[in-house]
Amino acid sequence: MIALRLHKDVYAGAAVDAAIKQFARYARLTAREEPSHWVVEVVAATPARARTVAGELGNAALGASAKARPAVQP
Amino acid sequence: MASLPSIPGELASADVASGVVRLTVREELYPLDAVFAAAFTFIKDCWVVVDRADAAHWAIALTPKAAGADAALLEQWVGGFANELLACAYRHRLAKDHRATVEAVTTAAMAGALGPPSLEELEDFDFSNEAFEDPLGIAMSWEDKYGKKAKAGDAAPAGATDDDDGGAP
Repeated sequence: MIALRLHKDVYAGAAVDAAIKQFARYARLTAREEPSHWVVEVVAATPARARTVAGELGNAALGASAKARPAVQP
Repeated sequence: MASLPSIPGELASADVASGVVRLTVREELYPLDAVFAAAFTFIKDCWVVVDRADAAHWAIALTPKAAGADAALLEQWVGGFANELLACAYRHRLAKDHRATVEAVTTAAMAGALGPPSLEELEDFDFSNEAFEDPLGIAMSWEDKYGKKAKAGDAAPAGATDDDDGGAP
């Protein structure tokens, strides 16, 4: 099992939720909230698969969080 | 965690067994938008996780997707990321500083692309409005501003000058 910890200052909650939905069919994903982090636990058939799913989920959440940010303000 | 030869230990460290390299940068120098932009260019080849090291620092973990990364390869990845991050931070600053200029130029270009106004639009245009206030008289003609004043008894219209003889015989 891999616990992916995503800081709330960086990752938008909606982006993490969207990434979990996107990768739910590849592994068993459990989300919980800590004061400063979103925590996603990844359980898969093999450790390598869990690592891949956790990594790609993190990338997807990062991309969605970046996309959700407002444009540069002067 | 092992330090990397070419990067100060307090900035970057590598875990060769796990194939992870971590970079710590100051938020003051590298805003989150720049970190996102740099991470975007690496998500094809690496798994990227951005975290808060403390109130003033970001911690970025890079894990190359290709298995078997050694210390030298991890150092290459983190060095490349650091360079990209620097470029993104600079572009972010330029975009922030020159936003007003870019907007003005874009607006002027868009207005020019619309073409000249039609006769109907000119007919509807209200020319009576003052274009802008001119308290110093900068927009006044030289004759209006410095021309000889009409004598009290003259019937010449206001603003007329000596040049306004009109060629009368």
